[in-house]
Amino acid sequence: MMKRNWREGFSRRELLKTSAGLGAGVALNGLLPSMAARAAGPDLNMWWWGEQELPGLKAVVDDAVKSYTAASVKPMLQDTAVVISQFQTAAAAGEAPDIQFLWNGIYHMESVWLGYLQPLEGLVSDQVIKDSSPTLLSRFGGKTYRVGWYALPMIWIYNKDLYDKAGLDADKAPATWDEFLAACEKLKSAGIAPLGGGIQDGYWGEWYFGHAIAQNVDSAGEVIGLFTGERDFREPKYHEHWVKLEELKKAGFLNADMSSTELYPGIDLIPAGKIAAGQSVGARVPKDSEMTKGRIGTMVMPVYGKGKLAGKPIFDSQGLGIPTKAKNPKDAAAFLEYLQSPEQLKLLHDKTGWIPANTNFDLSVITDPVVVDMWKRWGQSENIPYLANLVPGQFYEQALLPSAQQVVEGKITGEEAGELAYKVAKEWRDFNPDIVENYKKWSTDLGG
Amino acid sequence: MADRMDLAQRIKPDQVLKHGVLVVATLVALMPSLFMILTSLKSQDEYIFNKVGFPQHIVFEHFHNVLFESDFLGWMVNSIILAFGAVILSTVVSCLGAYAIARMQFRGRSLLFSISTSLMAIPPVVMIVPLFVLYTQLSLISTFQGAIVIYAGLITPFSVYLLTSFFRSLPKELFEAARIDGAGDLLILLKIVIPLSLPALLTLVVVNALYVWNDLLIAIIFLQDDSKRTLMAGISVFQGRYNDQIPLTMAGMVFASAPMIILYLAFQKHYIQGLMAGSVK
Amino acid sequence: MNHSARFVPYLYVAPLVALLLFVFGYPLVRIFEFSFKMVRGIDGPWIGWRNYDLVLSQPLFWESVQHNMLLLVAVPFMVGWSLLIAVVLYERLKGWKLYRVVLFLPYILAIPIIAVIMKKIFQFNGPVNEVLRWLSLDFLALDWIGSSDVALWTVMMLIIWRESALGIILFLARLLSLDESLIESAKLEGASWWQRLWYVIVPQMKVVIEFYVVTSVITILSAVFSYVFMIGGGRGGPGTSTMVVELYIFNALIRTSLPGIASAVSVMLFLVSLLLIVPLFAVRRRANEEEMG
Repeated sequence: MMKRNWREGFSRRELLKTSAGLGAGVALNGLLPSMAARAAGPDLNMWWWGEQELPGLKAVVDDAVKSYTAASVKPMLQDTAVVISQFQTAAAAGEAPDIQFLWNGIYHMESVWLGYLQPLEGLVSDQVIKDSSPTLLSRFGGKTYRVGWYALPMIWIYNKDLYDKAGLDADKAPATWDEFLAACEKLKSAGIAPLGGGIQDGYWGEWYFGHAIAQNVDSAGEVIGLFTGERDFREPKYHEHWVKLEELKKAGFLNADMSSTELYPGIDLIPAGKIAAGQSVGARVPKDSEMTKGRIGTMVMPVYGKGKLAGKPIFDSQGLGIPTKAKNPKDAAAFLEYLQSPEQLKLLHDKTGWIPANTNFDLSVITDPVVVDMWKRWGQSENIPYLANLVPGQFYEQALLPSAQQVVEGKITGEEAGELAYKVAKEWRDFNPDIVENYKKWSTDLGG
Repeated sequence: MADRMDLAQRIKPDQVLKHGVLVVATLVALMPSLFMILTSLKSQDEYIFNKVGFPQHIVFEHFHNVLFESDFLGWMVNSIILAFGAVILSTVVSCLGAYAIARMQFRGRSLLFSISTSLMAIPPVVMIVPLFVLYTQLSLISTFQGAIVIYAGLITPFSVYLLTSFFRSLPKELFEAARIDGAGDLLILLKIVIPLSLPALLTLVVVNALYVWNDLLIAIIFLQDDSKRTLMAGISVFQGRYNDQIPLTMAGMVFASAPMIILYLAFQKHYIQGLMAGSVK
Repeated sequence: MNHSARFVPYLYVAPLVALLLFVFGYPLVRIFEFSFKMVRGIDGPWIGWRNYDLVLSQPLFWESVQHNMLLLVAVPFMVGWSLLIAVVLYERLKGWKLYRVVLFLPYILAIPIIAVIMKKIFQFNGPVNEVLRWLSLDFLALDWIGSSDVALWTVMMLIIWRESALGIILFLARLLSLDESLIESAKLEGASWWQRLWYVIVPQMKVVIEFYVVTSVITILSAVFSYVFMIGGGRGGPGTSTMVVELYIFNALIRTSLPGIASAVSVMLFLVSLLLIVPLFAVRRRANEEEMG
């Protein structure tokens, strides 16, 4: 998913970790040819993203580049708004980099269909691919197009102190929707906002869809059907989640300033004790746990649905791939394998405080029981893909984000959201007939 | 006599009303800037419960962070480079072109001038799709030279318009005298016309530099590389990254607006004149 | 006049022509071409009018157009407010020069900066609402940024706030060049302040007011990208309530990778802007004549 900005604890120490140094140096970088000590071997261009979401990642990249001697890697941090378009236009012109950062699912699958990315089998060893946790959504036609880089569990969190205050069992999060509604009632009576965050920038709606649509489907392929036209958003089970959101809004269970707060400031409200529960990402747990002295709980979205995927933890990862026209694909693959080595995995954890996607990562360095517990359930147990990664761009912009925003505002009902979704899905099909065909093929890889 | 009239003026009630209107208008105009400055001096914790009103404890850490530990300085340097480059390129091209249009005879002269002037009404967004595609093919995305050419192109119609009007207003005798002395066109342009045009050129430079400095659309699309980011594009990134840290964000805004405010206060007259002349931008 | 001198003018205008051809000529031709193609990346197959069909039958497109139209409501407010302030400044009360310096400040600040500040000020639990609630005006404490009913008007307020500063200066400059004797004689004949304003001053401001109106309309149709991008969170939000045509084009190119669609809309915007060239020329000419005359 896009632009998961991440609040940095803004202590000076943090800043120094992530700072780009004095401005003059930055500008000079742009004017003068790279003066970095050049390793022997070929030049590799690496376009990447993630510092915006995981501060410290830039230090990881810089260190890895410095310590890698088999090639001279030139990293370029991309701006969130253009990660995909910049890559695609470059690829179309034959100017693609050797390594490209790839968000999961449709965000890179579209590039696969346009012929801009090549399968990693044959370049990167199969074992490395598997261990790196690219997830199911990186597969098409039986081939894998990414290696995983850092982990992205999609979770719900709740403030244990607030749960205590409302007389709820802080160590047993509600598992069913009815239990959840009962908990919300208690929280509301205690004067606490039971659920919410910030939806002003829209992304909360994407996360909500990713969590909730899973409840009523049996496979990722079924979700694809909603876009290719085989299934219809107007069917109750496919917009039930928006109806549920509407109910939450009507019952007064959402925080009042949700519509004018942005995603990350919204999540902050939970450890800060202003909201009892909400959606979040695994990467925030270490900091949030530290800030609340371990009083943050993680949970799966309470279940109301009857699909096979209901109630399962969601695991996603950010990844890297190799463009079709990369000038040095074998060397690029070697660097990707290098990044999956134990030392590099440890480096990632050291600089970012977060967990790499690779299953070989030595977890003994993690001491916080909250994080360990979360990882046990999200990283190491049966999990499902993050289904919002299947959403086509046009639908994302014009239906996915606006629908939840408008439901939370009280402007439309859940059913009307379903109508909007149906309409925009159809528009998408009209505007992009070439991609629809590919979606249909993709659905077979996803159990559809 | 004057004193008594003065006194009478001061007592009139509708003077109070008029002053009132001006005071209200001034407060409305100033309020965001005041908020920006006051907030930038508050600590994050203080802001939460003291949003309006003076800071109880003045802190400078946000400015320190913005100045030394963010990319603001770098972004500003990038903006300066672009403004500089685009203004120089456009001014040279426009001077040459306007001089010919204003004072030489050639076929297509008025057509060229009409077309050039009409281009001022075309929204820049209309140009971006083909230029984006072309630049990707030529690997010009995220290059200073690529962006400078686009900016120069966008500001040139106005420059030509202004300079042509000005050159046309210069007395003919000036040129006749110089030609009699045997001076060629280029010499006349460089040694006579340009020196005389300094006020107009100054206005031009102010308006054009401001346009490039303030632009967001071209900057976001054509300078995607982190190291080439301009101040305005950087502000967009900055406020997104730290959007719950309002005092810090405000410190960034103070920093970003300081150059313009200082220039404005120092060169008010040229500024105002320039902006009025450039009000179609 | 010797022969070789005849091509000299062409040398002088060559750089100008080259630059304009590159930055304007090439794109303006290509948007037409792209608009008839299904472009992915850098080119694509010919599909005739399909892009136009799709766009013209898409509610989002018409919403964007509608929002631009709605924003035009700002213009009469801009004119009214600027005129009022300019006229009061014209009285040259004590300290008017200082007022003038401050009143122009909004136009000095870059739009992205202003938008960021306003976005924080008008947050639901931000300073403005805090003050309103403190004054027991809770009903006025709207969700300025977060409500799709209100957000567009918030953007409009911002546009009025900033662009009026220009109007004030323009109108004041015109006023200061007026013939005072007319106003004096009206005063002597017993005309009230309002009467003087409507019957003597405003008629003499007709040209500059028209000029301001036309340039403001052009601005609102083609230069509000920065306002909307910063306030609406980059995608015309909340929902799609602040989507405007410029942002539609930007999104089609950058976010949904549909250069053909973006080009079709660019073509339409271009044709509309052509319609405005005529009035623009007319008001500019008249404004210049007035200045010289």
